[in-house]
Amino acid sequence: MASCKATDAVYHVDPPPAAKKLRELFYCAHMVHSHIAHFYALAAPDFVLGPTSDPAERNILGVVAKVGLEIGSEVIKHRAYAQDIQNVIGGKATHPVFALPGGVSKPITEEERKDFEEKAKSEVEFAKFSLKLFNDVVLANKDYLALITGDIYTMKSYYMGLVDSNNRINFYDGDVRVVDEDGKEIVRFKPAEYLDYIAEHTEPWSYLKFPFLKKIGWKGFIEGRESGIYRVSPLARLNAADGIATPLAQAEYEKMYQTLGGKPVHATLAFHWARLIELLYAAERLLELSQDKEITSPEVRTIPTATPDEGVGIVEAPRGTLIHHYQTDSKGIVQKTNLIVATCHNYPAMNMSIKKVAQAVIQKGQEVSEGLLNMVEMAFRAYDPCFGCATHTLPGQMPLEVIIYDSQGGVVRRLSQSLPG
Amino acid sequence: MKTLVLGLGNPILSDDGVGIRVAQELRSNLEYEGTAVMEASVAGLDLLDLLTSYDKAIIIDAIQTREGRPGQVYRLKVEDFMATQHASLLHDVNFATALELGRRLGIPLPKEIVVFAVEVEDVTTFNERCTPKVAQIVPVVVDMVMRELNVE
Repeated sequence: MASCKATDAVYHVDPPPAAKKLRELFYCAHMVHSHIAHFYALAAPDFVLGPTSDPAERNILGVVAKVGLEIGSEVIKHRAYAQDIQNVIGGKATHPVFALPGGVSKPITEEERKDFEEKAKSEVEFAKFSLKLFNDVVLANKDYLALITGDIYTMKSYYMGLVDSNNRINFYDGDVRVVDEDGKEIVRFKPAEYLDYIAEHTEPWSYLKFPFLKKIGWKGFIEGRESGIYRVSPLARLNAADGIATPLAQAEYEKMYQTLGGKPVHATLAFHWARLIELLYAAERLLELSQDKEITSPEVRTIPTATPDEGVGIVEAPRGTLIHHYQTDSKGIVQKTNLIVATCHNYPAMNMSIKKVAQAVIQKGQEVSEGLLNMVEMAFRAYDPCFGCATHTLPGQMPLEVIIYDSQGGVVRRLSQSLPG
Repeated sequence: MKTLVLGLGNPILSDDGVGIRVAQELRSNLEYEGTAVMEASVAGLDLLDLLTSYDKAIIIDAIQTREGRPGQVYRLKVEDFMATQHASLLHDVNFATALELGRRLGIPLPKEIVVFAVEVEDVTTFNERCTPKVAQIVPVVVDMVMRELNVE
């Protein structure tokens, strides 16, 4: 979707309202499927089975065994509903083929709209159920609540997210808003201005870059307001916004901040709670859009007439802010591109989160159990990272060296591929 | 019997697209009813969506093993994928887990799943074509699938 908005900008064309609504409807379905998959398949096992439980059971099969086959079926069913909606609008759920500069390739029929409406109603109920499950299994467990609010999984940072004109979260469109560790807005910008606000630091040991706020600067891997490190994610979005535009999700948003001691929340494991609140928002917005009279309009494309040159598109991907920036020739062939994906924005913070937990739970003389290693993984897993998206290189080769050290710093082994020379 | 022939892979990453190439060749060969041919670039739970309601599935995909030579073809079953890296991705579960989940939930999945895994050379270079050794094995894999389907 970021790509499609970037091509609108490249061609200087504004899609008609129905096209924007169809894109947003598709995108809310995408958020639904992704958030369901992440919570139930990746996050829930740590809480339903326990962070140090047997890894053979600490997976979606273990979750289903514990919560019941019926709930497992509801997970698959509602994920499939969201994929169906994307399939109908987009041609394909994964790698959709409907977005064009200036709109989308086809409208939807009244029959399709009615189907979406029924599926959206079911998604709202399932999202409510998922939040109740989180409340009963996680929040009602004082050990888990202590884990979420504890220091080892807490990190103070800036937070970034897209907001509408009323500062409420919006996945598809809006301004980029950044707030500080007290929740105060420090910058707000349009997509085309992103390079005035974000820069990227590099390290020789990683292909992934380390974005930071230009206004604050790169100060190294440190947290707090003096550091330019910021985070994106469901929690970052809720922190950066002043609220949610749909009523049920807004109520859950208020409950989360009340429970966790006010806004903003810095608890990394609260990403999972925020993700479920967003699931509810996406479902409610899906329902709103499917009931919008304009959603079946045949006016779904504005044909571009300007010569293409350059454009930026920003959306909120399930994992956080996603930036696509293209420069083209006069025929619209891309000459230069810059992508900053959510995992990239979060990369500095991810490294710090992992290090903080590792240093807290792995102590000298203590056996390093699989459970302890999983607790380190939980810091990473909360970010729902995608390194395939974030680590982009075009040459087609990947020079790589992995050096394994022992506890005294001696080299145990070197593995390498495609190294120059 | 409803059969699905599913070619998996990334069509712009050289040999990673071999499954897609085989499926494209098969589509023109398989003209009788009962056999669907699909191409997909998905994994995990997304595969469940595609496999639902078929009696048999034949999947073609790329594989890289420690000792394999590009162009070798393996006929595998699902059980052979319990410990593989690229049947999984960071946002989802792996192939074997997805299938087991589907079975436990009573989703109508194929009773028989056969995987033709093609040993490939290059899955990191951007190219819409396979490397020569892999490209020349495509017709062989097509023939293997046709024999699996008992089609002349």
